[in-house]
Order: sequence, then C-alpha cells, then structure tokens
Amino acid sequence: MIARSDPQSAPIGRVVATELKPATPHQFHFWTATDTTIGIGAIVKVQGAGSQESGRVVYGVVTEGFAYSDLATPLHDVVGAEGDPTRAADAPTVRQQIRYWTAAVLRQTPEEPLQPVPIGQVYVADDADVALALRMDGFLHSATPTAIPVGLYTAAGRDSPVYLDADFLLGPEAAHLNISGVSGLATKTSAVEFLLASIFAHFPAHKGRVAALCFNVKGPDLCFLDQPGDLSDEDRRRYERLGVPAEPFQRVQLYAPLKADGVNLNTLRTHPDLVDDVEPLTWGLQEVVDYAEVLLNRDDIDAKADAFIDFLRDRVLGRTFDDGFGTTHRVQTFADLDRFFRAIFDGLEITAGGRSDTWRTHHIATMRKVRNRLLNISTRCKGLVTDDGPSSDLPWSGFEDRTVYVIDIANVDPLGQDLVFARVVSKLREQLERRELGVDAVVVFVDELNKYAPGDGPETYVKKMLLDISERGRYLGLVLFGAEQFRSQVHRRVVGNAGTQLFGRMDMDELATPGYQVLTPATKSKLATLPIGELMVRHPHFTQPIFVRFPKPPVLRGRDGVERFPPAADVPFDEAVVRQLVRLDRRIRPNQVKDLIADREPDDVRRALAAARRTRPDDVFAYFRKVLGARVSADADLPAEHHTVPPLNPISDEPY
Amino acid sequence: MRERADLVEGNELQTHPIPEPVIPNPVSFLNGIERWSVVAYDGVVQVVSAYIAAAVRRRDAGGVLHTTGERARAFAIAPLDRMSAPLRQALEQSASDLERVDGDLVEQPARYLEMVETTVRRARAHLERELAEQSLKDLGADEWLVLDGLLSRSPAVARHPRALGVIKSHGAQFLEGRGLERALTLPAGHRTSVFAVRGGHTRTEVYSWYLRLWPWEGNDLQFGLVRVEARAHPETVTRAAALSAWLWAERAPLATPATRWDRLLYPLHHVEEYLKARAPRDLQLHRASRLPRTGT
Repeated sequence: MIARSDPQSAPIGRVVATELKPATPHQFHFWTATDTTIGIGAIVKVQGAGSQESGRVVYGVVTEGFAYSDLATPLHDVVGAEGDPTRAADAPTVRQQIRYWTAAVLRQTPEEPLQPVPIGQVYVADDADVALALRMDGFLHSATPTAIPVGLYTAAGRDSPVYLDADFLLGPEAAHLNISGVSGLATKTSAVEFLLASIFAHFPAHKGRVAALCFNVKGPDLCFLDQPGDLSDEDRRRYERLGVPAEPFQRVQLYAPLKADGVNLNTLRTHPDLVDDVEPLTWGLQEVVDYAEVLLNRDDIDAKADAFIDFLRDRVLGRTFDDGFGTTHRVQTFADLDRFFRAIFDGLEITAGGRSDTWRTHHIATMRKVRNRLLNISTRCKGLVTDDGPSSDLPWSGFEDRTVYVIDIANVDPLGQDLVFARVVSKLREQLERRELGVDAVVVFVDELNKYAPGDGPETYVKKMLLDISERGRYLGLVLFGAEQFRSQVHRRVVGNAGTQLFGRMDMDELATPGYQVLTPATKSKLATLPIGELMVRHPHFTQPIFVRFPKPPVLRGRDGVERFPPAADVPFDEAVVRQLVRLDRRIRPNQVKDLIADREPDDVRRALAAARRTRPDDVFAYFRKVLGARVSADADLPAEHHTVPPLNPISDEPY
Repeated sequence: MRERADLVEGNELQTHPIPEPVIPNPVSFLNGIERWSVVAYDGVVQVVSAYIAAAVRRRDAGGVLHTTGERARAFAIAPLDRMSAPLRQALEQSASDLERVDGDLVEQPARYLEMVETTVRRARAHLERELAEQSLKDLGADEWLVLDGLLSRSPAVARHPRALGVIKSHGAQFLEGRGLERALTLPAGHRTSVFAVRGGHTRTEVYSWYLRLWPWEGNDLQFGLVRVEARAHPETVTRAAALSAWLWAERAPLATPATRWDRLLYPLHHVEEYLKARAPRDLQLHRASRLPRTGT
C-alpha cells in the first residue's frame, strides 16, 4: 500500500528565502528546473542541511507558482523584436528563466520547536512521505486502523494513495462530507459512489456495521448501483492500488413510489430484467401525519393551525373519537380523515344551524385550511401516499451491513420529496437512537443541497433536519454526505459541520466568494479547470487542501443504465397487477389473475395487491383472491368502507 | 591609442548592408568577471583580495545556454616588501595565492588602487585566454566560439577559423579620415569593409570590421557599434557579411539591464550574470557602498 522512501531520489529544487520573501514556519519558497514535474498541488519534502538542521524535515504542498525571466521591463522585449511579435520568437538565445514555487507547510518533523523552514534541498514526496505529510500515519498504521481510501495523489508523477480517517468521516470525532462542483462533469455523484464503495471495503470491523441511504433526485443517477459499469485498465489499476474491489455494490435495495395508477413504479428502472428488484414505497396517513410540518411550513400555517394539527394527532388519529354531532370516528386513512372533516363541517352547518363557526375551540377556517393541506398531499403525491391503502416501507429494524438503500424520488412532486426526506431521516435518527436500525452507522447521501438547505430562504422542516444531522448526527452514526453546485449558497452550519470537504471543478464566480479566500489564485485556477475524476480534499488531518484522483465508479452510470436497460412503458392495469403478483409468487398464472380482477374496482384491486405485498403469504394468489373477495381494509382488525378522496386542486380556491 | 589597419576588402572602406541572418548551431560564448576589495591595512599599505572568473556556455538547439567550461581564481594582492614582518608573515600563511606588486605607489593610494585594478584585469585576461584556448580544443566540428573582447590576445585563438571577438569599447582607433567617418556613422544593419589589425594590444594579426547593431541617431556615435575580430584569412572576408548578419540577429534578446546593452550580446551578458551569481559574496564591488544592503 505505502511504498517506502527512496533515499537515493535526487533533489528537484532548493528552498530560497529573501528578506522580502522569507521562509516561515507555515510557508516557504523554492525553485526548480524549468522542466519539472512539480505543479500546483504537488507535495514536496525539504530536508534541512548543515549540523543545525540536518534532522529537520518539512513537508509542504505547492500552492502557487511563478515564472519569470531576466527581462527588466516588457518594453525591452518590444525593442528587441522591433515591435514585431513574429520576430520575438526568432531570438537565438532563450532568456534565463526561473520556476519559483510557493509551498504551504503540511507538517514538520520534529514538530517542536516550530521553526521557519530551513534552506535545504527539495524532493518530490514518495508514498511514505505523503502518508507522513498528511498525518495519515496515525490512523494508517495504528493497532486499529481506520483508513478509508479517497483517491490517489498523482501530482509530480507520483501515484500515492490518500486515506481519510473513518473516525473523522463517519464519526464520532468528526463526521459528514460535503462535495461541491459544477454540474455535468460526472464528479459529485461519481465521487460519492466511489467513496461508498471504499467505505464498504475498508470500514473497520471494530467500528461495527455500516449502510448507506441515497436519495435519487435526478433522473436515473443512482438507479443502477448494482450493475457493472465499463472501467478502463487505468481505472482498474487505480482500484487495485487503493485496495477497493472494482465491482458494483453487492447489496442494493431500491425503493420507488408508485405512479398515480397505483400499480406502475415511478422510476426509470422499469426494464423487465431489473424491475423485480425495485420495492414500491407507499405510505398512508399514519406515516405522513407526523410530518405534517413538512407539508405545511411553506405556507401560511400559523399557531392556530399547529394547535389543530396537534389536536388531530393526539386525540383523533388512530383513536375512537366522538365528534360531538353524534358520529364516532376512527381515523386511520386519508379517506377516514376526509369523512371526519365532512362530518364536522356538516355538523356545524346543520346541527348548529350555522350559528357557530368554532368546534372544540378551533375555528372553522383553520380547520378548512388544515383539511386542504393534509388531503392535498394524497393528490399531489398520489402513488407515494395512498388514500386508504396500507404502506410499503423501508426495513426500519433490519438494515443490513454494507448495503445501499436507494430511494428514487426523482419523479415525485417536490412536496413529496420533502416528505420522503423528512420521514426517512427522522426514522433513521429514531432507530439509531434506539440502536434498532440494524447497523451502527448510516451514510445519507443528499444531492442538491442548494435546494434542500439553502443559506437564505425560509426555515423549512427539511433544512432543520439537515442542520440537526449536521450538528448532532455524528453521535448517532447518522452521517450526511451532501452535494451541491454552489457551496457558498448552502447553509453555513451544514457545510461548516462537514469534517471532510471535496471540491470538483468549480465555477469562477463561486470561487470569488469569501469562502474561498484561503485558497491561492493558482489553487483557484486549478479548481476552475479540474478534469473529471479529480478532486480537492479537505480533511481534519490535512492542514492544507490536497488534490486526488479517484477511479470511475464501478457501477453503471445512470445515463448508460437507461441506454442498456431502457425503461419499460407503463403496462395496462391488469398486466401491472399480474407482474407484481408473479414477482411475489412465480407459480401464479397471469390469465387467472386477469380473470379475477376483470370486473373489479381498481381501488379494490390495489388494496388487495398492497395487502398481498405487505403480508407475503405462502399462497399469494389464494390470499389475493380472498382479500379481494372480501372487503380489503387498511387494518385487518377494523372494517373500513371504501371511499376515495375527492381530488383537490394543488392551489385551492379557499382563502387559507 | 593608434593601431595599424590595412584594408583587405576593396580599395576603400565602404559600408555594406547585411543579408538575412543564418545562425550557426551550436555556439559557445566566453566571458569573465573580476572583483576586488581592500580587505586590510598595514599602515597605509592596502592589502587587496581579488576574485576573477571566466566561463564558457554553449547554446543548444533550443537556445538554452549550458556551462561547458569554467575557471576561477581567488588571490591576494599586496606589496610584500612594504609590509611589516608580522603582517607579511600572517598574509603569506593565510593567502594560498598571493600576487606581489610593486610598493612604489603605496604612498599614493589612488594610483596604487589603479595599479591594483590593472593587475586584476590582466589576471582576468590571462584566465580568459587560458579558458578560450582550452575551449577551442573542445570545440565541435561546426561550433563557433564568441569571446567578449579582443580575439588577438592569444595567437591560438586568433588563428582559429571559428572564433570571433566582439569588442564593445573603442579606445583604439584603427581608421582615419573618410574611413573613420564612415565607420562611426554606420547606419544600423550595416558593416564596414574588412581591415587587418595589428600592433598595440594586438599580438597576432586579425581581420576586423565594424558593425552597427542599433541606430545611433539620437545617441552618441558609438551607440550600438561593435568591432568584430576574426582570424586573418581570406575566408574571413568572404564570411564577413554572413557573420555580421548572425551577430545582428543576436541583438535580441536585449542585454538589459546592462548599461551597454546596445553593444553587449545577450549570451555574453548571460555568462557574466552566471559568473556573478557564483562569485563569493564577501567581495563587494570596490565602488559599492559599504552599508548593508537591505530589501526594505
């Protein structure tokens, strides 16, 4: 892994210090030959010379470079060429030039007393030097190593692995990772995919079990993590060098909500060869109501509405409740909730004769407003949220070690995306707090932090959750891997709490913002032109940013996946039902199912299908027929009437 | 100082425009430096420490210069017969290279220092001559050697077919009358006819001609004017135009910030800067301030 130092390597430069540009404990300058492998980001080693400093070794990273000749003034070049640029290149002698570099100190040995960098010879750092310079020796060679490869340091013709400390990447010392970069250069998502593979391969056994949960918010980005991608020989060599298997994730579970028809999956992974691996994600009222804030906070919900929602949650939902107008309710589904509201409004209108506009101290306008907001979700997120069907959810008590859970919400309404995110993260936190999730640490990958945790804008529930993970997640093992295009526009506490920061190619306007003032112009210039597959890394152990290259992820990229496995067209309702049942039980004959559901109400079929999916009986068809033949309810213990929720316009005409 | 000059190209000294340049490759350039400083006193006797060096740097196909030969000498200069015994003994023990000078001028410090300067300059010329002779032995088949100064100090160098001397100072006058006027008012990009030079400092006959590198109008008559020396051979007359064109092409890059950049070829300037960078730091130029130099 780490090659030993070559004591015979030749110096490539020499430290120079003048009164105007002296060497300090944190910075030094050196020159090299004009033809050199050194560049911005290269790690160098300075060895002190002379009896006083012969034992002192300083490691630095090149942060700035200068080239100049002995030309006293540009005018002299004009004079020499007689004003003709074409003649300027005809000069028979090349002017004396210098390659002059500025390096920031990474580490000094011995570390005390901390002194200015000695005037000594400069060497290219080898693998062992890189490990020392980046203080990786502490977690790489300890009794319980915690090194996670992040890429290869490839400057100056070297090829040295660079490691992150798992204690500082996944907690408990520090945690979280933030990655910034312009879109479309295959860096952010690819880097996270590679890093997850690296974590799964190198997460130390003594730290327990780890899983990852990714929200797929863009097209097919994360839909094919279990399929092998095309890797070049160079990529395979890099994988070998980093000790990471060049193969797709072995355990991937993909969840996607259903489309509005309630049977076709709302994902781009619907190719017949792959669709069987996709689990539907559907939630009912019980799963959604605890996150009502997500649905309401972006509107004008006030304290009165909050109070009414609390009332519903505490007194009504899941309980037997008398509305005071002679009707007893047991609200467990959106349909039940709609009946409940109608009963109250009718009660106020008919029973009270329209004389009263309050019910149990809640004003009717407040109740109408809350009703609209809550019932609206089942319309806008139809397929994710069912009116009255049972839920199909993640295995909250059975997360498996080194498994990637992907939730595809790319085609879900933004409100639904917020809901999914809020509920999933909340459940992860709850389960981790109870130590009942099944793993000790979960990496949550959230792309588009500019959207979910912007630095300005309203305080949304999602933003609060991201802040909470950022600030307290490391104690629980809840680790946020966030990605965004403009780091400066993400909430400061979200990016500030990320112990590890990765930077892909950056926009120059972004680099001009104050957050990048610590970088030299040369480093910014390099960041603005970073090629695909190269990153700048900041990590608590690294005193300066380091550039690394990572191999192409060993998985099928989203775009390639869609080309290789084109999504299947939505199938007719009966065919979709057949497919889902066959997936549960291969013995089922399609025509049998089609005959059975031919004259049934689609909602009845959907409920029966959901029940079969949730129950997973031995004889699926028999169970399906039984449930369909009788009345299907959300809760087998309770009879429930079939009512659909009247569709509501996303933008209500009501003034609330 | 008046030297003898006989025209060897035509019957009258003429001005000739130079053709399109062809630059030979490789070419080596030789130059030297001198430094000296009074470092001790024995009464009014001034003891001088001197350093001289010379180097040859070869220009490769890419136009980059590389050192191929270098010589240096650090020595003390003192009128030993005018020094007290203890100091004389101490000097003899400490200085491995000691140059004795006449003590007649000890009581006239200014003239004494002029004599010291002449001594150092002579030593430098000797060093350059030795290095030039050595370099000619190592010269490639098509390689040229360009020296800063007189070619004619060394017979071996003066007779070499591919050695050129470029003289910037025009203390010696070889021409007179109409020929002198034509030489001193040469237009830029022109040369004079070739003439033979002998006598004075010139130990060996060489052929020479004037070449104007930069327009003198608006400056003095010697601005941009160099005198070129080559071996005394009919081939030199034949080659004078091509050699002039080559040297004309060497005007760029400018040898700034040297004060005589108009006559100093950049590669020769480069060799001088190289030697300065390698010279010992304890010898300040004799005209320099003794105050510490700071960057602030």
